[in-house]
Amino acid sequence: MRALVIDDSRAMRRIVSGILEGLGYETQQAGHGREGLDVLDGGWLPELVCVDWNMPVMDGLQFVSAVRSNPAWRSMTIMMVTSESEQTQIVKALAAGAHEYVIKPFTADAIRDKLALLGLLPQEASL
Amino acid sequence: MTATDTGERRRGSDARPLITDLIDEATVESIAQEAWVALVGEDEILVPLPGDAPVDPVSSWVDVVGPWTGSIVLTTGRRTAEELSRALLREASPEVLEEEDVVDAFGEIANVVGGNVKAALPGPSGLSLPEVGEAPAVRNPGDLCRIDVLWRGEPVSISVQGALPPLPTAP
Repeated sequence: MRALVIDDSRAMRRIVSGILEGLGYETQQAGHGREGLDVLDGGWLPELVCVDWNMPVMDGLQFVSAVRSNPAWRSMTIMMVTSESEQTQIVKALAAGAHEYVIKPFTADAIRDKLALLGLLPQEASL
Repeated sequence: MTATDTGERRRGSDARPLITDLIDEATVESIAQEAWVALVGEDEILVPLPGDAPVDPVSSWVDVVGPWTGSIVLTTGRRTAEELSRALLREASPEVLEEEDVVDAFGEIANVVGGNVKAALPGPSGLSLPEVGEAPAVRNPGDLCRIDVLWRGEPVSISVQGALPPLPTAP
């Protein structure tokens, strides 16, 4: 399974990618929403996208809206991974088309639990 | 008869909350502890004790704009900021840490702490991208909630500080 990790912090990209790779994902990284769309435009289509909210160039909410407006990308599951934890922001992200919301700081177990709920744990990780 | 503007109404609508009315030190410490354990490491405890002023201080912060406007500022010594960055990156930490690695990792800690402080304040509020450098000045000492802690024996301070100067007091 493939996952795209979008965050303007390299440290956070490494942490999230490390967790997903530990679960058996193949990952790619992008530094903001526009770079994330470039990866998708290039034909590398993941089952899962983990995206931060506050980023330069294109933020996470704009990215979610852009993905949801393209029918070819509808099957992708989007999980916001962000320090934006106001209830109104969470509702806004889910309304735009995100499937799940993980608030930073998080643990590896929290990510794993969310993926299990979404049915997106690679087979070897769910054993 | 001419109405006189006494300024009463304007002063009433200009009233803004001080951070000390909205959050206390214990909440800020609890948010910071949670962030440290999740980001820096499970055994990484912040000890609530003031230390000496850090040598070669560096700060990371995020700004909050909303019913309360200000910054959440982390300040520590540069070497401690580097150590924090290494701890955050764990096995992904490069042998030679570049300045941009420290800016990125130390800034992300401010982002996580700041985002969770913002969630404890009245909203809706906007959160800026993190910045790293010399801490923004404290504009109003009455609009400040600060904790001083030790991490691995080194001083770290976390300030939630208003961005606006005090309102003029009524004569």
